Amino acid sequence: MSWPVSEFDALCANDAELAQLRTSIREFLAADRAEFGWQPAVDCWLANWNPDFSGRLANAGFVGLTVPTEYGGHGLGYLHRYVVTEELLANGAPVAAHWIADRQVAPALLSYGTEEQRRRLLPRIAEGRLYSAIGMSEHGAGSDLAAAQARATRADDGWVLNGSKVWTSGAHVAHQIVVLARTSPLDPQHRHAGFSQFIVQTSAPGITISPIVLMNGEHHFNEVIFSDVFIPDTDVLGQIGDGWHQVTAELGFERSGPERILSTATLIFSVIRALGDVDDGVAADVGDLVARMISLRQLSISVARTLADGQDAANRAALVKDLGTRFEQDSVELVADLLDYVEDAEPLRALLAAGRVHSPLFTLRGGTNEVLRGVVAKGMGAR
Amino acid sequence: MNELAELVDDLGRRAFDARVGHRFPDSFDEALWRNLEDTGLARLTSSQDAGPAEAAIVLSGLARHAAAVPIAETDLLAAWLAGKVGLPLPDSGPLTVAIADAGERDGRITGIAREVPWPSGTVVLAGRTADALHVALVDGAQISDGHNLAGEPRGSFTFDLAVGDSRTVDVGVADELTRRGAWARCNQIVGALDAACDLTVAHTGERVQFGRPLNKFQAVQHSLAAMAGEIERARAATALAIAAATDYGFDHPATDYAVTAAKVTVGRAVGPVTTIAHQLHGAIGVTIEHRLWLATMRARSWVDEFGTTTQHARRLGRMALAADDPWDVVVSYPAPH
Repeated sequence: MSWPVSEFDALCANDAELAQLRTSIREFLAADRAEFGWQPAVDCWLANWNPDFSGRLANAGFVGLTVPTEYGGHGLGYLHRYVVTEELLANGAPVAAHWIADRQVAPALLSYGTEEQRRRLLPRIAEGRLYSAIGMSEHGAGSDLAAAQARATRADDGWVLNGSKVWTSGAHVAHQIVVLARTSPLDPQHRHAGFSQFIVQTSAPGITISPIVLMNGEHHFNEVIFSDVFIPDTDVLGQIGDGWHQVTAELGFERSGPERILSTATLIFSVIRALGDVDDGVAADVGDLVARMISLRQLSISVARTLADGQDAANRAALVKDLGTRFEQDSVELVADLLDYVEDAEPLRALLAAGRVHSPLFTLRGGTNEVLRGVVAKGMGAR
Repeated sequence: MNELAELVDDLGRRAFDARVGHRFPDSFDEALWRNLEDTGLARLTSSQDAGPAEAAIVLSGLARHAAAVPIAETDLLAAWLAGKVGLPLPDSGPLTVAIADAGERDGRITGIAREVPWPSGTVVLAGRTADALHVALVDGAQISDGHNLAGEPRGSFTFDLAVGDSRTVDVGVADELTRRGAWARCNQIVGALDAACDLTVAHTGERVQFGRPLNKFQAVQHSLAAMAGEIERARAATALAIAAATDYGFDHPATDYAVTAAKVTVGRAVGPVTTIAHQLHGAIGVTIEHRLWLATMRARSWVDEFGTTTQHARRLGRMALAADDPWDVVVSYPAPH
């Protein structure tokens, strides 16, 4: 192991190799944007689905970073992925198409998938050509995910899935959905037992996908209904009955990542760049905003480093998500106030509008902040 | 590092226990100071071969126990400044530094030093004029008797000395002095906030209302989580400032950046954390018998020293506004142009 020359640079995720990687992803993004003309967007990891971009990003070597080379990935560390992820978000790049597959499905396959599944799916993920959705929430199971009722029953050589999922982002354009379903009836004493995960093709007979439209007309979410959908044994992900453990084990990474801080970064930076000569009061407002970003990022990186070392950081990861998503939400109105001092604010209004429509989602998705605070309090010895 | 943290924790705890009930206004803890000198902790960075990482452990560890000693002032500020200008100091005993704006006229340096922390020991004056910093030992000044919200001694005095009786250095030294002070206060505030949090977790686990401990109420749990969030964020920002000082020293743009960001973050954490701590303690927490104020009032007093939160926010804002890309300032310190 080689020690970082500078702990400061390491804490900034900017020591030698990471700094190089940061420079190359920045160069790629600048050149790609110049050539293909995409516009930086708020909440780009949910909203900006662009398969061509995903393919180009993968060709340039920026997808499947932590996937081992034998499965077509790059065999790099979690902090490498962290740097690429945050640069994509800070630049508002259109990453939604490959996002879930790269961020959630690949790690799950590496932890729980069969060798056959890894060989079949990981190379396509690393090529940025496999798009996946995740089917977790249901009509009666939001924060209380253990109330999920979708169920899979045993059949010859596989399982038969019935039930429905909601808020399934990108299901209408994805190749597959990773579905959490009951494989044993609910045991009120052990509510988390009896769940399993399945990789379900969106083209399978018996699947109906209908849009759930966002209040500004955007379509990202779906309701997915499964009626007698056959899933071959080869598409069971992990162990039957182990689904709850599988979906919660990786939550630390998901909760503490840059996407919990930087969903509005494009909006924030665009407004700061547009500010001309400002008085001390406005400069202090900008400083407060930037200090919140720096400190959240520092906390997020410190959790990432702990997790990368294989240690537990569940509590602090939950804190990052609670603080980070509330910051994302607050940032929209803080920036709206700063717009008063921008000479030509018109070009920024669309970004602000997107921020206002998407901001209620920040503190809901992936577990509400109310639930997260309960997790944190429990870790502090309360409950 | 763990050994050091344990030693500091032990010294702090014993000092705290020995002074229960005799804390307002506070007085210099001579017994603790002797222990710190005997263990070499009193002048850790100025006389021992130790760096900012060790100093940070001592500062936050002692602050956690509301230690009544000028540890930051002695080691990081006064001893450093005197060393910088070649001013001889006593080998032992507490030191402090009086930072003040000064005027220079007819060969004399004059001004008023206010809110000088722990002014009863040896005081090093750092008088800042427009273009220089004048450093001298204070001798025979009439120092007013006062204290901050936490009861810690704070004094003011006027000074009037011949230019020739001071050592004159570049005004940049004054910037570093303030940066060192802000850095020290960040570490100390994190220690005080940790203490406030510990007390609050303990209290809400013991205090029963409506037939259950307070921490069984969801509203209370959410407040505890909010408190922990602010503290962890403050700690993460302070950790960056510690790393910067360790890697580059205090006179470096990376440290300037990290201390500025930390002072804002820590400063903005003090309000919510101390408010929640008092809210969850109920009225008992505002009484002099309860130890909570020793943590909360220290944090609230320290936050205004060595540059207010808003002053630091303004500086950080100017850095972001001047950068080619504000994202660069979020990632690390802005590269020199």
